[in-house]
Amino acid sequence: MTESGFRSAEDLPEGVSEHLSNLMLTLADNKRLLGIRYSDWILGAPSVEAGIACSAMAQDEWGHARILYAMLRDFGHDPSALEHERESDEYHSSELLDRDVASWEEFLALNFLWDTALSVQFEMLVESRYEPIHYKVRKLLEEERFHFDHGQGWTSRLLGAEGGRAALAEAFVAAWNACVCWFGAADDPLISTLALHGIVRRGADGARARWLERVGPLAAATGLVRAAEGGWAATREPVWEGYGTRRRRTAGGGPDEDSLARVRGDRNRALLLD
Amino acid sequence: MIRNGRVYEVFARKKRADRFEHVGAVSAPNEQLARVYAWQTYDEAKWFEMTVAPRDAFAAVNRPQAPFTLGAPAGRAAADSR
Repeated sequence: MTESGFRSAEDLPEGVSEHLSNLMLTLADNKRLLGIRYSDWILGAPSVEAGIACSAMAQDEWGHARILYAMLRDFGHDPSALEHERESDEYHSSELLDRDVASWEEFLALNFLWDTALSVQFEMLVESRYEPIHYKVRKLLEEERFHFDHGQGWTSRLLGAEGGRAALAEAFVAAWNACVCWFGAADDPLISTLALHGIVRRGADGARARWLERVGPLAAATGLVRAAEGGWAATREPVWEGYGTRRRRTAGGGPDEDSLARVRGDRNRALLLD
Repeated sequence: MIRNGRVYEVFARKKRADRFEHVGAVSAPNEQLARVYAWQTYDEAKWFEMTVAPRDAFAAVNRPQAPFTLGAPAGRAAADSR
């Protein structure tokens, strides 16, 4: 890349800083909530090994969230306030993470479809001109490779099991629209600005195409994707109603009461250190 | 509906110059999951390289039953059955 990088948020052009901190907060909140959903299956996964995998993935997600919240200090945020002080509708996490996951199939929709959507957005930051983040992203993506393998390994296992496909397809259908919309509309002003300045490598459509390329080969068995010229195409038109570009989610609201208490650490609030 | 599948033996080494050591075993429905489970279960060291192989791929050489083919549950390392 011939363009020079930005060493801190202060160096970012007018308007870019706010969009980037918004993206980072969105990624951080999603990882924090996803970690909780992973942790819910440490006990109750189909095998001890799968439970250990859930535990490892939860730790990874919390670690990634921690790094991102801490980095937001560069943008003038107080990481502690972000982690412990916000109300539900201030969270930028997906509606897919608002409440407990009811089944292993729904868990796999998060593990395979949603976690991959997050990783694809991180891939777009690998060569980011905002240098502080691109140094962190490589290690994060190395860890995420195992999350993808876990999601893909289990998805292919269930697709091949008698009776497994229908339940999995149902869970994938339920999660699909939130995933597709998450990358933003083709002309999403926020992502377009970041792409224009080399903060992200590709815009919303580019990221979405990359995600389809990764999940497409297996998701095709559920009818949600078909092979198309030069890649994969979703078979359903995205439903944008209610979608907001700032929080990148299709529904209002936020994490439910129980999730909010857990994500903020309410139970041990008295023990919080400054 | 879901069975745990095959037992995979896990081998790893810390440095390129090291020999592989047998670090344990995992049960997994397929090789992809065996790789994930092995990496996340046996994370006691910062491994340079890790590899897995199905237990039933090992052939006994000097004994009728080699340690790996005793059919012990995953998680009990072969050392248990020596």
